[in-house]
Amino acid sequence: MIRIQLTINGQQFEREVSEHKTLLHFLREDVGLTGTKEGCGAGECGACTIIMNGRSVNSCLVLAAEADGAVIETIEGVAVDGELSKLQQSFHDHHAVQCGFCTPGMIMSATDLLRRNPHPSREEIQHGIEGNFCRCTGYEQIIEAVAAVAATAAVAATKDGGDRA
Amino acid sequence: MGATVLETIPASELKHVGKKTDRIDSKVKVTGQATYVSDMIVPGMLYARVKTSPHARARIVKIDTSKAEALTGVRAIVTGDELDYRLGLYVVDKAILAKGEVRHYGEAVAAVAADTLEIAQRAIELIDVEYEELEPVLHPMEALKEDAPLVHPKLGDYSYMEAAFTPKPGTNIANHTRLRKGDTEKAFEECEWVIERQYTNPSVQHVPMETHVAIVQWGHGDEITIWSSAQSPFTVRNLFCVAFGLSHQQVRVIVPYVGGGFGGKAGIGIEPLVAVLSRKAGGRPVKLTATREEEFSLLPCRSQLTYNIKTGVSKDGKIQAQELTMYWDAGAYADYAVNVTRASGYSAGGPYDIPNAKVDAYTIYTNKPYGTAYRGFGHVEFFWGLERHMDLIANAIGMEPFEFRLRNALRPGSTTLTGEKITAHTGNITACLKRAAEGIGYGTLSDAEGAREKRTGMKVGKAVVALHKAPAMPPFTATTVILKMNEDGTVVANLSLVDYGQGTYTSIQQIVAERLGFPADRIKVAWDSDTDRDPYDWQTVASKGLLLSGNAAILAAEDLLANAYDVASQALRANKVDLAHDADRIYVRHHPDSFVTFRQLAIGYAFPNGNAIGGPLVGVGRYIAQGLTHLNKETGQGLPAIDWTYGAHGLTVEVDQETGEYNVLKVVSVFDVGKVINPDEVRGQAIGGMLQGLGTAVCEGYIYDQKGHLLNPSFTDNKIPTALDLPLEVEAIAIETPQIDGPYGARGVGEHSMIGVAAALGNAIQRASGAELTHMPIRYEDVWRAIQKREPVDNWITKSPFGSCRSAPEIQKHDC
Amino acid sequence: MLHQFSYAAPTTMDALLSLLSEHGERAAVFSGGTDLLVGVRAGIARPSIVVDLKKIPELSELSFDEAEGLSIGACATVNDLVDHPAVGKHYSILAVAGAELATYQLRNRATVVGNIVTASPCGDMSSPLLCLGATVELRSVRGERTLALREFITGVKKTQIAPDEVVSRIIVPVDRIDAVGGYKKLKRIKGHDLGVVAVAMIRSGQTLRTAISSAAPTPVLLPDFPVDASVEAIQAKAQESISPIDDVRCTKEYRRFMVDVFIDRLLQEIRS
Repeated sequence: MIRIQLTINGQQFEREVSEHKTLLHFLREDVGLTGTKEGCGAGECGACTIIMNGRSVNSCLVLAAEADGAVIETIEGVAVDGELSKLQQSFHDHHAVQCGFCTPGMIMSATDLLRRNPHPSREEIQHGIEGNFCRCTGYEQIIEAVAAVAATAAVAATKDGGDRA
Repeated sequence: MGATVLETIPASELKHVGKKTDRIDSKVKVTGQATYVSDMIVPGMLYARVKTSPHARARIVKIDTSKAEALTGVRAIVTGDELDYRLGLYVVDKAILAKGEVRHYGEAVAAVAADTLEIAQRAIELIDVEYEELEPVLHPMEALKEDAPLVHPKLGDYSYMEAAFTPKPGTNIANHTRLRKGDTEKAFEECEWVIERQYTNPSVQHVPMETHVAIVQWGHGDEITIWSSAQSPFTVRNLFCVAFGLSHQQVRVIVPYVGGGFGGKAGIGIEPLVAVLSRKAGGRPVKLTATREEEFSLLPCRSQLTYNIKTGVSKDGKIQAQELTMYWDAGAYADYAVNVTRASGYSAGGPYDIPNAKVDAYTIYTNKPYGTAYRGFGHVEFFWGLERHMDLIANAIGMEPFEFRLRNALRPGSTTLTGEKITAHTGNITACLKRAAEGIGYGTLSDAEGAREKRTGMKVGKAVVALHKAPAMPPFTATTVILKMNEDGTVVANLSLVDYGQGTYTSIQQIVAERLGFPADRIKVAWDSDTDRDPYDWQTVASKGLLLSGNAAILAAEDLLANAYDVASQALRANKVDLAHDADRIYVRHHPDSFVTFRQLAIGYAFPNGNAIGGPLVGVGRYIAQGLTHLNKETGQGLPAIDWTYGAHGLTVEVDQETGEYNVLKVVSVFDVGKVINPDEVRGQAIGGMLQGLGTAVCEGYIYDQKGHLLNPSFTDNKIPTALDLPLEVEAIAIETPQIDGPYGARGVGEHSMIGVAAALGNAIQRASGAELTHMPIRYEDVWRAIQKREPVDNWITKSPFGSCRSAPEIQKHDC
Repeated sequence: MLHQFSYAAPTTMDALLSLLSEHGERAAVFSGGTDLLVGVRAGIARPSIVVDLKKIPELSELSFDEAEGLSIGACATVNDLVDHPAVGKHYSILAVAGAELATYQLRNRATVVGNIVTASPCGDMSSPLLCLGATVELRSVRGERTLALREFITGVKKTQIAPDEVVSRIIVPVDRIDAVGGYKKLKRIKGHDLGVVAVAMIRSGQTLRTAISSAAPTPVLLPDFPVDASVEAIQAKAQESISPIDDVRCTKEYRRFMVDVFIDRLLQEIRS
């Protein structure tokens, strides 16, 4: 076991964790944040996507041990004070959700994309979520949901210089 | 009071049905708060792992579990020898764990429950299984040979659903579906053209993002609770009780949010295995989560198909006869494959008018992972061949393929293969075809497309295909919806149809709101399904959910209102015929100030002096399929279809003539859905299914070696479409020819979007490049080989001569 | 779920090297984990200790100077490489090939060095780095050595790394910063996929240099050709140098064919 300290969704955590435990399993089993899903365990499907130190990663291929000192963002931290993020709201508005199992990872990838590139083209959105399989929607409504946020963010940016994606 | 189920209400009068509305489950999903079985921990829970077979066929000589038993933290180990139960939906042929012999790669031979997943995994690794390898039978055509090894030598001893299926003991045939309409022999003789070819496709995996997972607690007194990622809680319960000889009241199945199913979770899966582990562990709950790799071979897939089509066409381009022979590869167990065979058999000719038909559809056992239901239920597979064949015929007889389809499309007055008469209400296949053609600019290249050809050097091709499907279900398929009014006048709907992503619950909310005349946000459709608490539904399959449960929801709403009116009538001392209601109250029509609110009626009406009448308001709606019959086992004649949903895909592709690589530029999908209940959900089903269909058309499929080992059981070599694989442009169009017995005229569209896409791609590629393909998926190399007229290969390693080939057509022209 | 191992995250090179010296083959060097943890999960890799390199600052360095060239530290991720201004300016083929590797979030973890050390025939970074004449720097308690990349990879998943060694960085020399070229990769879908076969080609000065992936047990670097060489000559050399196999992804026949197509197309692009 190894002791780690980290920040998850703005809260401090200090835990003993097995050296061989993945960050995904640590989040789901030790911390109880089950919003992050496991779809393959091998870095292919993106269901486990979280943001670690400002970068989107497949949490199934990260060890909890190496997250000592890290700042982690998961789907549970995206809505603040009960208010959905613009992206979450847009997923809702555009019916970009079916079974919902890919949705948390998809939202984390898209959130990261919009931070890097607030006004992505359709093709840039496709590249940004390429690593997140969705078997239900055919992606179209997801792409539309992300594009709609990018469009409103463009409007907002001209007004107050930016907005929370 | 409201109208009956059968009445079609003008769209202008509808407030909820057909309108854009919020999806009721998306907020809980976008926040990560939706709880799936894979997220659940039950107090005292153990974790299970499964030992699976590395061989396709082998005798189990010995299983040594002693080292695993010695491991601290192991609480239960089970092997096949100690279990004497058989499972099966239609043919009862499957043991919970292999007994004596393994029949496919990946089959479960032993299982462990332990304190942690890691201990369970270590225990699995410590179990030694000694096998004697046996020669497997891998290809269905080989399995039909007289000297083929029998996958189930005791087939004759198994029980099966006799009204629908015909196993052939002493062979590898799990079922033979026959259909005879008219006189094909005579018709072929009179046809100018007789054209025959074979088409094939491999097994594919459903790939729900949440793999199969179940938690089972075998409690004291054989009281069993099952939490499962399943589509059909009542079918899980029923088959479980049959297998273990338990009363239905002893078993409770709970289904929370489900991370996709697509048919792969339609029946019973790992629940019995987890149950016996729990029993052996003294009643502690046990959880088993399939790994992604196990999803490919421990759990079932879609069956492989070899389809022979022989078509007779008269001089005027009219199909006169078809001889349709299907060889369905069930794999090691019959599961749903026998019913896929049956349902495909009676639909095998497509939405075309065929006066003479002979269908023989065989379900064949082989030593491979077994086939089950998959979105489209056989139709994705056989429409690949059928719609490729329609193009082959059109080209051979010199008729434009689109015109050839229109010429032969079913129309009012036509009869289907089973003898059902098509009416003006059945749906409009011609309109679907025309809209799809219009959508892609069929027959010409736009200026932009012409310019694109010049720029890229690639060739553009377009195609339009037709499709149909009816729900494959027993003629007596039934469901129930119960509405319960809360104290504040809001309403909870309970049903056991499972919404694992389709959006049906949102549609049920709309229908109930419409019928009650309440705002949609006063109707809650309760999420988890629970066989102890919720009313019966057969299964969430077959695109029958909206039609049957929608009708039940209407009837439940009417029942709730009737019950409310009964009490209101007494409270208001007025005849029921004089009452009307709005969202809040029931009032006397001609004295609107004389009213009682739903809130006052919700749990029973109390008079001012305290006397009370009525009681908590509920509404019960029961619906059972009407007028359907079993099919005659010799002729296949009868009425199997509650509704037919017709559709068409128009597809534009560009092909690199040199390399065979291609890009799908546009897909326009059109379905006659009867009535759109929720436009966004129809679109979601249409595009989602289309891309799933395109995935199986482009890249998906099981690859085996000569010994029956599955070589691509993961996303590394079984690719599925990503966001970049979406065609450049996609469009979904709904046509509305109301279904007389559908809720507000609606019919199902969950599966249809997946059907026919592969053939549309194959046909468009052929038009662009000349590549003649009869096997899907259509890998770039396949297109290259076909253009180059090189020897086709199915499985790159085994170069299997079967199930793969670019078969040569047989085209006979008679003088008549 | 992974088997049990211990974890160490040394903060200095010396500590790292002594750990590797102590544990040898039982230790697995770990940075991005995108191959290692997949292998551990599949039961292919069974290290008893996983040694994380990321706490050693110098290993994360990614820098360019006009004397040495591009230095890619062991922990520099593929996205670090793709986004680095000097890479876009001087070694654009690395950015192009890097962006073809897996998915965005995977590239946030996958390292360039890891892609080489894995020594998979289908690694996306090897062919472009071979074209650019990259060298590999290895460190151990025994000292430091530098190998040409073309000598470093010796077979499928085999390299010259000794059990006590670590690749500290890859150095891409400055002599080809004028290189123009491209990377073409055959995939089975439009989205992320391993390279079924891939060709990298650059023109630098008066020479053409070509490397081929997924067509032999190791990436294949062809001898240099003059800029005006015929496409047939390069294709003939390529066909002679590769030994593709039939596997679940493709036949050797199509691999050979696509190698010729890619050479032809890359040459046309370079010359246009």
